Amino acid sequence: MQHAAVNSAVLTGATASAVSVEVHVSNGLPGFTIVGLPDAAVRESRDRVRAAILSSGLPWPLRRTVVNLAPSGVRKGGAGLDLPIAVGLLVAAGELSPARTEGLSFCGELGLNGSLRHVPGMIALADAAAPLGMVVPLCDVREAALVRGAAVRGAATLGELVAVLRGQANWPTIPRSRGTVHAPDEPNLSDVRGQALGRRAVEVAAAGRHHLLMVGPPGSGKTMLAERLAGLLPPLTPAEALTVTRIHSAAGCAVPDGELLERPPFRAPHHQASIVSLVGGGSWSLRPGEVSLATNGTLFLDELGEFPVAALEALRQPLEEGVIRVSRAGGTVTFPAAFLLVAAMNPCPCGEGVYEGACGCSVAARARYRRRISAPLLDRFDLVVPLSRPDPDELLSDEPGEPSEVVARRVAAARAAGTGHRAGPELTEDAAALLASKLRAGGLSARGLHKVTRVARTVAALAGADVASFAHASEALSLRAGRAVVVS
Amino acid sequence: MSAESAPDLPQEAYAVALASMPSMGPARLRTLLAADPPARAWERANEGSRASVRDVARAWQRQTSLGIRVLLAGQPGYPARLVDDPQAPALLFCLGDPTALAGAPTAALVGTRAPTRYGIGVAAQFGADLSGAGVSVVSGLALGIDGAAHEGACGAGAPPVAVVAGGLDHVYPRRHERLWERVASSGVIVSESPAGVPTEKWRFPVRNRLLAALSDVVVVVESRHQGGSRHTVDAAMDRGVPVGAVPGSIRSATSEGTNALLADGAFPVCSCGDILIALALVGASVAVSSQFARGQSSSAASAPVPAQDRRVYDALSADPSPLDELVRVTGLDLAELCGGLERLAQAGLARDAGGWWERA
Repeated sequence: MQHAAVNSAVLTGATASAVSVEVHVSNGLPGFTIVGLPDAAVRESRDRVRAAILSSGLPWPLRRTVVNLAPSGVRKGGAGLDLPIAVGLLVAAGELSPARTEGLSFCGELGLNGSLRHVPGMIALADAAAPLGMVVPLCDVREAALVRGAAVRGAATLGELVAVLRGQANWPTIPRSRGTVHAPDEPNLSDVRGQALGRRAVEVAAAGRHHLLMVGPPGSGKTMLAERLAGLLPPLTPAEALTVTRIHSAAGCAVPDGELLERPPFRAPHHQASIVSLVGGGSWSLRPGEVSLATNGTLFLDELGEFPVAALEALRQPLEEGVIRVSRAGGTVTFPAAFLLVAAMNPCPCGEGVYEGACGCSVAARARYRRRISAPLLDRFDLVVPLSRPDPDELLSDEPGEPSEVVARRVAAARAAGTGHRAGPELTEDAAALLASKLRAGGLSARGLHKVTRVARTVAALAGADVASFAHASEALSLRAGRAVVVS
Repeated sequence: MSAESAPDLPQEAYAVALASMPSMGPARLRTLLAADPPARAWERANEGSRASVRDVARAWQRQTSLGIRVLLAGQPGYPARLVDDPQAPALLFCLGDPTALAGAPTAALVGTRAPTRYGIGVAAQFGADLSGAGVSVVSGLALGIDGAAHEGACGAGAPPVAVVAGGLDHVYPRRHERLWERVASSGVIVSESPAGVPTEKWRFPVRNRLLAALSDVVVVVESRHQGGSRHTVDAAMDRGVPVGAVPGSIRSATSEGTNALLADGAFPVCSCGDILIALALVGASVAVSSQFARGQSSSAASAPVPAQDRRVYDALSADPSPLDELVRVTGLDLAELCGGLERLAQAGLARDAGGWWERA
């Protein structure tokens, strides 16, 4: 046997595509060539594969060897192709029977000692390998089995795998779960003293999935509130959890062993993060960015005004469509990016702008700072709340605030009843008249009216009311009053 | 090169041409025009150059085509207030009705370009009240206090007077384009700079000196520690023009300058009546009506507070408070509080100041 073809899969973004690894061994000067647009990691696999085969006590064919990765036009990356190349080589060299590898897809990185190592993105790879059976490193079996069930097999070393494929041994048993990665305790809202408006804003944002912008001086608790918002969101549904786990796995983030992520993700990229790290991409292997890692969860942008303008403008598509399309010369990848955007910013460079007379910024400096947040981006925020520093008495009091558990129950009940986005309570006549008067007075744009209406319905749903009353509409107006501070 | 070759050009034309020469400041212009009549001064200044009478005609044409009136010192129409001024401008450019500079008593309302709502409100109210009492409001048409004073004064009665730094062919600051037109149509905009001269930094203190010279009394509404209002105040004190200041919070940086002025002996301005009294003391003929007596504002008496919103109204003060504080003081739930505030706002009893609330 001089030729062999083995199935595998490679990751592109958060999805994977099937790849056929063809190996041809022929007479000629000994050599080893990989063709079919391999990236650096795949080209280096030559040395890993050789060492692993020799370490496993198997012969290395001293002949001319060509490995082709089909389809040849698609760029392939990652070390997951080590295992299929090694298996294909052994089949082509006559060490393994081709019948035993038929109907299987292989994925795994090889160590020099022949061990099989973890590959990121196992959920997506398992999807792409269907309907074939799948052979993966033993440590990845539970993750791949999340989507493929019983069709996933694993081995700890190349030698073990060869023994199984030769019929000399049985498939090794899948190890028990190492247990869920213990999620760190989410911070609790009971730590927040006072801040009635800020607490209310995160509650409404969590209940109605309203994007939230907090404007306030340093020390007004913006970051504290944002971190506690994540704990108010209900647990992920199974479908959401699979999407989230798939993206985290593809990005190489830690995922619980053989289980889905249950809590909505909370991502807080620093304002110096590059645009690519935010929206996803990279020149060859397209990696999901922070907006995709935050999908079905919260994306928190602290110091919104310090982010590069181009990065902020790149957020507009995901905010609008719930996905982000990353285009490169090699093709376009669509990542899910349906997140709740929570942002915080100072009202001006010195941060004291909400306190009249305390701000030392020049008119030009304030205008420059505000120009960084474009009007279309600002329009995406349903809630823009002005925060002020808490009252010292409240701050020092021993009385804890309302705990997250209580607020989360209200949020869950409101979501079940229907919030601003779908089938929430309708506005009463005087509430509608209040908003109409604001529209006529010019204090509200047509889009603003639509948003306030939605927020008012969420507020009413949180209160368990059948209709959104005058008071609910008034509160909705107050929850966007921070626009006056940000728009000059 | 001869002045006699174009007898149809007025004296002002030569003065304008002289003022339009590069590196010509107010002081140099004053010296040159004090020594010679304009035509002669222009000739001497251009000796050896290739400038011709055609250039004079062109500069003159430029002013008149823009509707700019030129007032030459010593000629009829030149404001009486400036005649004895030690640094009187030799040449004044006006957009609008120059007679607004004579007649009515004048009061300058000046202050910081980045005021608080308090300052804006006070400036606008004084602007309207003074104008209604027949006093011309003089200001610099700058952002902040100046603009607010003019906003209040336009169309309220006496013609407003704006003193600007650059040429009258371009609006500065650009944001005040509409206000500029309103002042020009209801009063007058004055400048020492001929058309085409950009608004350079050094011209602002010079402008402030002219502003003080044109005013019977100067009132600083809000100013920071080392604000530009200081130039106006210094110029006013040099000329014996009374200076008043509006007291502000000791915690507000925008009131540091005005509070310091009060400590230095400026008269406190707590109502429009205080300004009118100061004007009467300097001899301007104003009638201090009881409407502007101390402590009275011109705003209408407020409606009675509905019983259900009494608690909310009591928690409000004249200075804006954040909602968090109102929640704490009233003990109400946020929706109830906001509903009460909106009802009070509809009754004209409360005002939303960028998410913070105050009594109207």
